[in-house]
This record gives sequence, C-alpha cells and structure tokens, in this order.
Amino acid sequence: MIVAEQKHLEEIRRMIAPYDKVVILGCGTCMTVCDAGGEREVSFLHSALRLAQAKSGDGTHSFLEYTVKRQCDPEFIDLIADKVSEVDAILSLGCGIGVQALAERFPDMTVLPGVNTSFMGMAKESGVWDERCAACGDCRLEATAGICPITRCTKGILNGPCAGTKNGKCEASKDMDCAWILIYKRLERLQQLEKMRRYYPPRNFRAIPRPKRITSKISSTGEENG
Amino acid sequence: MYSSTTDNAWGYQTDKVKKSSFDHSLMPPCQAVCPLRMEIREYVDLVAQGRIMEALRVIRDGNPFPSICAYVCTHPCEEACRRNQVDKPIAIRALKRFAVEFGGDRMVYAEADTTHSEKVAIVGSGPAGMACAYYLRKLGYPVTVFEAHSEVGGMLRVGIPQYRLPREVLNTEVQRLAQMGVEIRTNTRVVSLDLLFDMGYKAVFITIGAHQSIRMGIEGEDSPGVIDGATFLREVNLGLKPSLGERVAVVGGGNVAIDAARTALRLGVRKVSIFYRRSRAEMPADPSEIEQALEEGINILFLVAPIRVKRRNARLSVTCIKMELGEPDASGRRQPVPIKGSEFNRQVDALLTAIGQAPQMPSDFKVRIGRGSTIQVDPVTLTTNRVGVFAGGDAVTGPATVTQALGAGRLAASRIDDYLRHRYPRVEKETREVLVGDLLPETIEMIRKIGRLEPPILSPEARTGDFKAVELVYDWTTAVNESRRCLRCGMGAEITSQDKCATCLTCLRICPYNVPHLDASGAIQIPSDQCLACGICIAECPAKAIILRKPYDRRQITEELHHILKSAAESKFKPFIVGFCCQYGLFGTGTLSGLWRESVAGIWIVPVLCVARVEADHLLSAFEMGAEGVFIAGCGEQCARENTAYWVNQRVGKVRKALMQIGLQPERVRAFTSGATDVEISKELDTFIEQIGGLYLTSTIMQEVKS
Repeated sequence: MIVAEQKHLEEIRRMIAPYDKVVILGCGTCMTVCDAGGEREVSFLHSALRLAQAKSGDGTHSFLEYTVKRQCDPEFIDLIADKVSEVDAILSLGCGIGVQALAERFPDMTVLPGVNTSFMGMAKESGVWDERCAACGDCRLEATAGICPITRCTKGILNGPCAGTKNGKCEASKDMDCAWILIYKRLERLQQLEKMRRYYPPRNFRAIPRPKRITSKISSTGEENG
Repeated sequence: MYSSTTDNAWGYQTDKVKKSSFDHSLMPPCQAVCPLRMEIREYVDLVAQGRIMEALRVIRDGNPFPSICAYVCTHPCEEACRRNQVDKPIAIRALKRFAVEFGGDRMVYAEADTTHSEKVAIVGSGPAGMACAYYLRKLGYPVTVFEAHSEVGGMLRVGIPQYRLPREVLNTEVQRLAQMGVEIRTNTRVVSLDLLFDMGYKAVFITIGAHQSIRMGIEGEDSPGVIDGATFLREVNLGLKPSLGERVAVVGGGNVAIDAARTALRLGVRKVSIFYRRSRAEMPADPSEIEQALEEGINILFLVAPIRVKRRNARLSVTCIKMELGEPDASGRRQPVPIKGSEFNRQVDALLTAIGQAPQMPSDFKVRIGRGSTIQVDPVTLTTNRVGVFAGGDAVTGPATVTQALGAGRLAASRIDDYLRHRYPRVEKETREVLVGDLLPETIEMIRKIGRLEPPILSPEARTGDFKAVELVYDWTTAVNESRRCLRCGMGAEITSQDKCATCLTCLRICPYNVPHLDASGAIQIPSDQCLACGICIAECPAKAIILRKPYDRRQITEELHHILKSAAESKFKPFIVGFCCQYGLFGTGTLSGLWRESVAGIWIVPVLCVARVEADHLLSAFEMGAEGVFIAGCGEQCARENTAYWVNQRVGKVRKALMQIGLQPERVRAFTSGATDVEISKELDTFIEQIGGLYLTSTIMQEVKS
C-alpha cells in the first residue's frame, strides 16, 4: 500500500490562497487506510481550514468535500466531473498518482497535492506504518530471505552488511535494525546461508528507463509469441 | 463515489444525517421476552443519563399501569438480560420503580374523548380488564367495567398482599381509569352475557381471572381449619383479619403459597411452614420472594406433600410424606415420587392450600370451556365461540403474571376495536430483528465487571409487624449507576456499506471488546450480537464507514452542537467555552451538572453518551463556532471500559496539532477524566477556565496592538 502524510496546514493554506472555491478530494483506498486522505481526514481538514480562515480573518474560500474510491482510475474521477467544473482548484488528498491522474483528466483545472506521498509499506500496528518496497523493478527477495535490503538498509547495499552495523542495529539510528543482520538470521533459520556467499554486482540505476509502463495486453500481431 | 456535501457553515453533514434516519437497531432480548414488549433498553439508558421524566414517558408508552408493574412484575426481562453472562442482570423492575416514583407518575393526567358509540362491557376488573378498559377508552369507546367484589383490581386487589403492592398505587391507577371516563360498577356480579347485550353493549370482554383454588384431593381436606389460600388472601386483602392460631402450614410452591405464608406471619401467626413437593430449584415462586420469606423466618419443607388431614382437639394433624425427584414430566420439571414409609405428622392450627387456581365460570356465560376450566379463545382474535364475546387474562391462560394479563388486555382492546370497526384483525408486525445469541467468551472477558445494585429492603424485623411495602426505592445515584451497567444490546455499530469500507482494519485493531473480525472473504464484519455500542471505532474509522444502529445516537453530538449554535445566536452570551461532557453518572446528575447550559455564563455543555464518541472534528467545530476553549470531560473510573481516556487523549492531541498549525495555543483544548473524587475535576476545570480567560485577553490585546 502507498503511505503518505498530510501536508502542514500552513503549506496547504499557501497553496489554496489564490483560489476561491476549492474541492477537497479524498481517496478511498490507500490514503484512507494510512489515515492521510480518507473521508474522515477530508472532513477534518475541511474543518481546520475553515477554522484557520475564521481565526486569521483573511481569505474567503468556500470548500466542498468529496471522496472517491480511487483517484488513480479515470472512471472513478469521472463520477465527480460535474462537481469539479464548479470549482477553481482541486486539493487532492490522493497520493502523487492521484494528483497526476486528476491533472490528466481535467486539463484546465489546477490540482494541488494535500499530502506528501512517502513510501510503499505496511502497517506495523494501528496508526504506524513502515516502508517495505522501493519498486525498483528488479526483485531480489528470493536471495535475501524475504527482507528487502534496498528499502530496509539505509545505504540500500546488495552485499551487506557494511561496517556500520553494531549489535544488530544500523549506525544511522540505534532504533533501526540492520537489514543485513536480519537477512543473515533469517537465512540461517531457513538453512539457506549459502545464499549469503553469492555476489551481486552493483545495479545500474541509469539503465532503468522512466517512466515505466507495464502492459498485460497481448500484442495482436502475435509477434511476441514467437 | 460517495460524497458528503457541506452546505452549512459548520460542516455538519446535514443531508447525510437526514438520509440516515433508519433504525437498524435490533430488539434486545429483554424486550423480546416482555409480554408488553416494553422499550426497556431505551428507558434504562434514559435513567442512566438522569433523564427520568423522559424515561417515564417511554415506560408509559408501553405500559398502561407502570406503577403496578414497578412493584409486582415478575421481570422475565431480567432472566433474558445478557448481562447475566457477565455478572448479574440489570435490576430492570427496580429501575422502573425508580423512574415511576422520581419521574412523577402520580401527576400524569389521563384523558380520553368518546369518539365511538358502541359500548363495551368488561367483566372483571383485574389487570387484563383494566388494561383493556384503558386502551379501549383511549380508542374512544364508552367502557363499563363490572366487578363482583367491593373493590376494583381483581387479583391485584384480592390476591397480591399489600406489602408487595401498596393499595395507594393501585388506587391511583383505578382513579386514573375513572378520570378517563371508564364506568366502574363494583359489587356487580355478571351472571348472564345475554343481559349485557340486552343492555346495549356491542362487545364483551370476559376477564374473570382464576380465583377458584384447586383441591388437593386428600382425605380430610374438608375439615374445618383447612382453608384455601386464594380465599384466605382475598379475605385479608378486603379487610378481614381471620384468626389462624399459633402454627400454620401452607401447601404449595408458587407465589400464592409464599404470599399466603407471609400474610399469615403478618397476621401474628408464630410459626409458619410451607410444604412443597419438589425442591427449591423447581419452585415456581419468584426467587427473591422465597429469599425474603426465608429471611422472615418462614420454614420451607422441600420434597414434602400432605397425604391426610385429621382434626383432633381443635387442631389439625397433617400426615405428610417425603418425596424424591423422578423423571421429568410434561412441564419439563422432574416429577416428585413418594418415598415409601417416610410418613410423618405435623400438628398445626390451620392448613392453607395454594397448589393452583382455576377460573370459575358462570354456566350462563355459554362460552366454550377448555382444559383446566379455562375459556377457549382464538389465539389471534381472542374471540370465544360467541359472537362479540372476547376473553383474556387468567380466565384463558390459567394463573399467569400481571404483565401477561396487561398484554392480553391490550391485545383484546385492539381486537375489539377491529371487531367493532369491521376490520380484519391487524397483526402487529415487528420490523426490527430480535437479537439472538450469547456473548462470546472473548467479549465477556473484556467487559468491566460491575456488581448489581439491589434496591434497599426493610429488615425482616421491621417488615413482618404489618403490611408495609418490603422493598424501598433506589436513590438517584444508585439508580443511575445500576442503569449504566446495561450493555445496550443490539444498538451497536454497523458498516454502512462494504464498498465504502477500505478494510483498513482500524476497527478490528482498536475495538475494546475484540468484536470486529474478518470473514472468509476478507470483509470486515461487526456482529450485532457482540458489539456494545461504545462508538470508538465510529470516531476512528478513516473512511467514516461505520455508524451506530440507532439514528438518535448517530446524530446526537452533531445535533447538540447545532442546538448550541442556534441558542447562541439568540443568547447574549457567546459560547466562550464548549465542553463535551459524559452524560452518564457524574455529569448527568453529579457535581458537574451545575455546568449545564448557560448556568455558568459562556460555558456551553454538549451532553454526550460516552466521550469515546466525540470525534476530533467535533472539537474543531466547537472552535469554529467561536469557542475560545474546548474541553472533554469523561467519567473516568466510572466508565464502562478502560481505554476511553486513551482515545479521548488521541483526539485531543490531533486537534492540538491542528490548532498549533493554525496559530492557536494548543492549551485551548483539554481532556478531563475524573479520578476517585469529583472535587478535583471541578477545581481543574476552574483553572482551565481561568487559563482560557487569560489567553482570550492576551489575544484581544494583541489584536488591538496590531490594528
């Protein structure tokens, strides 16, 4: 799941300053789950913005609030198209993908990001999320016992651990586990320690082209079957 | 897509609120077993909030004579109460009595207009007859009640002793009937129904009760000194004082037997024993009555039955035999079997028999009689074999409870109405589903155990001298605390639509009772039979996909805020401080009740049913309304669950963060939870109010300086 956190209110207020009528648009999927932009947060932000406006005495914004199921699919966005036509700007509480999807769908509309999209991760407990995947496009989890060194090692090194490991913790932070120690222990438990002996050449990040595209369509010419 | 438009200034989602006025709550088990289907959960909850008069209104809606039930109801609701599975059931009957006495039931004025011309005769003035008269009168029929005895009330008058039902209570209800225009004819025994029809009555309701004692069928039963219990109670209750002698034995194990024994004791009999042929577990009398009888020194001999009575020297020699329990009989109770050779003798001055009663039907009624001399009726229409003749109460069911009789009377009234208006009987449809199923062990484990608070009763010494009411009424605090134990079954949370639910698992992770779970398809389920409606998940759900099943609970805080806004617009006091106060216990009735709306200028209170339901949004709304400070005050240690304070603090923290970003001091919002004493909290609150005053002053000066 994509994890984000809401931007500072000050920043949001600065962004919306030029626009009178703003729709606060939540996203009902990842942003709801990570407490950054679900219906509750939309409503809370709405209240906070109105309160800020009332207390500071500047600004005469009017707000609308909606939440769509997923901002990253144009069909869901279409459902609010007529509502959006009434406003001057969209304050999206979707992730960076949602913001761009909105911008693509409404070419003449300003779309503002209300959250900082932070990482892909999982819930550690209620209200706490940890990063787990960097979407590098070249998954090595088979060799690393299901623990990703790219995201969980501060340096993201592939042939760890480095000399900075101390009592199983990372030199960058005492609270952070050293990913490579975790990998070693788990390989040991799985009796696959020989995987530690393998050497992985440095990855050539320059070779990875962006933006990436994946298609599950089968080419109609049938060339790829050959 | 799901949207919530906010067209008003404060962000209350009014149109959504309006749309969600459906009531999805389930009928709780207490209500499902009540013969009158009373809204027990509702009035218990109102008592918990200290809203006694509203509680009484709910009670009066479902019960024509609540003050009578408050004394003598056999409360099947308490047996069905699911709190039984946790510790002890809610003392529902005692709470009703509290509501009736403190809510001013005596002041309630009943009136009715005559809108129909068809006269209805009611034969018998017991609870069924009185209830039928009450409802028929409400429907606008002229009603006459015929009573054979000198006083109205049937078994309520001649059967139930005064120490259980004070006569003033009964008299008040009878007067109320007269006030409504019911014609009451005492000392009038109806011998023929034809005569009633000749007199112009269009329908007759027979409710003559079951006053005839069943004979034991043993040798010597007709000896002087053997008295049937029902007759004995009738004589005493109508003012006679029969002299019984020194030693009296009562035969039987029902409420009549216990009543006869306790009445004999109050007439000055030295030694009273009860012979019951089964054991205590099978005894049909109310357990608390049995307990009180034992306390008063009545000796109950279990597994004993009389087989012969002989009169000798003005005394009775009763030969009894010991019994043992054999196979269960048709009623499901184990059949007593005599033990051979276990006979023994008892010398008594009088023997009261109370082994059951049957109706005694005048043969001229010409209605079909069924098993146990009861009248045969159609269970749906309550009609007998004669046109226009209806029957109900003990005369149809055999000896039963007051509440059942009231239920029968109410049903008869609507059936007679159907008959007189030439309609098919309208069968009441219950739209709500009845809550079934027990609490799971894991739910029970998480429920805070709070012992049942019994109403005070007179000591055995103080009560056996005369016929004073044995049970006293709760005081205010005890009643509120007792009613707070209610688990509010069937009012819990539900997911509005699985599609809206993001399955984020927040509810599953934070529920104090571990109620939400994932089903096999990976969807969240909140079982209605487990949820206890604390409201924590509703405030925490990031998708706002959970609501309470009862519309009132759902809107309550938002509506109260609205109300404040409206009143503030009319008032000269701006809402200076808004407090969200737990409406239960302490704040509803206790020391902080003085903070009630505007009683302290500028402090406005939003009463909430548990502060766990206050959302961060509500706090911000209060500020937006112009409040300089906002506080939440919970009942702390009195709360039904332990982690309410945690969630309140989480939300306060979130609002403080937002306030800081807006440029307001985070101290403007605070949470208070009371500890053991409530003195401290009011002091803390005073400090808070002063602090807010200071902040307000500073900000005003700063603004002046700026401008």
